[in-house]
Amino acid sequence: MYHLLKGLHEYLTRKDEFSVIIIGLDGAGKTTLLEKIKTMYNDTPGLPPDKIAPTVGQNIGKIALPSAVLQFWDLGGQRGIRTIWPKYYGDCHAVVYVVDAVDHERLSEGWEVFDAVLSAPQILGVPLLLLANKQDRSGSLSVAEIRNNYEVWYQHKIESARRRQGSELDNEQRRERIASLDVMGLSALEGTGVRAIVDWVFIRVQNSKRRDESS
Amino acid sequence: MGLSVSSLFGSLSSLLNWSKDKDVRILMLGLDSAGKTTILYRLQIGEVVSTIPTIGFNVETVQYKNIKFQVWDLGGQSSIRPYWRCYFPNTSAIIYVIDSSDHSRLQTSRSELLTMLSEEELAGVPLLVFCNKQDVEGALKPEEISEQLGLAGGEKGRDWSVRGSCAVKGEGIEEGLDWLVNVIQKK
Repeated sequence: MYHLLKGLHEYLTRKDEFSVIIIGLDGAGKTTLLEKIKTMYNDTPGLPPDKIAPTVGQNIGKIALPSAVLQFWDLGGQRGIRTIWPKYYGDCHAVVYVVDAVDHERLSEGWEVFDAVLSAPQILGVPLLLLANKQDRSGSLSVAEIRNNYEVWYQHKIESARRRQGSELDNEQRRERIASLDVMGLSALEGTGVRAIVDWVFIRVQNSKRRDESS
Repeated sequence: MGLSVSSLFGSLSSLLNWSKDKDVRILMLGLDSAGKTTILYRLQIGEVVSTIPTIGFNVETVQYKNIKFQVWDLGGQSSIRPYWRCYFPNTSAIIYVIDSSDHSRLQTSRSELLTMLSEEELAGVPLLVFCNKQDVEGALKPEEISEQLGLAGGEKGRDWSVRGSCAVKGEGIEEGLDWLVNVIQKK
């Protein structure tokens, strides 16, 4: 009887589970975002920002929405540890890339890394969201400015590659990806934009290509 | 019906969590001479003590940032590793210590770790790996060890962190513990 009820309960409350990875340079605010998401969606609050130290490894978090469960992996962003990211590309349903919109000096380093993420073949069909974090700080670049900054950086890269090799490096697939790229503003510290981000993820994972593959 | 059953489950599990809070038990494991006992006493009395190979275990209560941990430092010799599993139930976290300068036994250390992590009783338990003896020349960097362990992508159900440490100088220990405390507290 117990097993029957338990099975019934599991059947009735069964939800699709989706995996989301949060990546970006160190200090971008990935863990702060994860903990904020936990605080806003779970009964037990996440860590307060002042307790967060650089991540060397992975932090996990799970939230239950009315019709789906989102499982987040917040991965360390320091140079030496970025090599672990691709290990998660094989089975994630969405990728969230966080940029520190205040740290102008490291923007191009961030784009270099972002570019590799953008063109990684395993996640070409996976929804990708670019976040301009630290919108609460003065001097932070807006969503439009971040997008523009990336475009400029990208054009620059293409041109210098063309000069060097005299060939066209650009390809159709990635141009499409950039054109359809969503950029959103965020203050992980204050929680501004967090709900919009979770909504975006929730909607996009349902239509994710990977979902069709697995079902 | 579904709702009431699930709320019953919810309250039962929160009750279980409440009683678990009282006993924060941490296992410290790793091959012999990795530096487990040195780390334990570094934590407890803040000093380096001269140690002898642990046969059996050392248990100490460590007060760290207003949490009391019971740290079980289990001997690492191959003959006693099979007994590690006796201590797995009710474990809040695992600290795994690796001698970063011992290249020849890294694979052994890795397979002991992975075997342990596959135990059902340790599912979801946070893992802190200390790549110890970073001061020794030729020691592998934490990133290299992390790569070899292959936790990334393989251990998706738990929080984990692989960090460098030097127990005799006390470097890296506190940072690692800070991370672990945060992870345990939010469980």
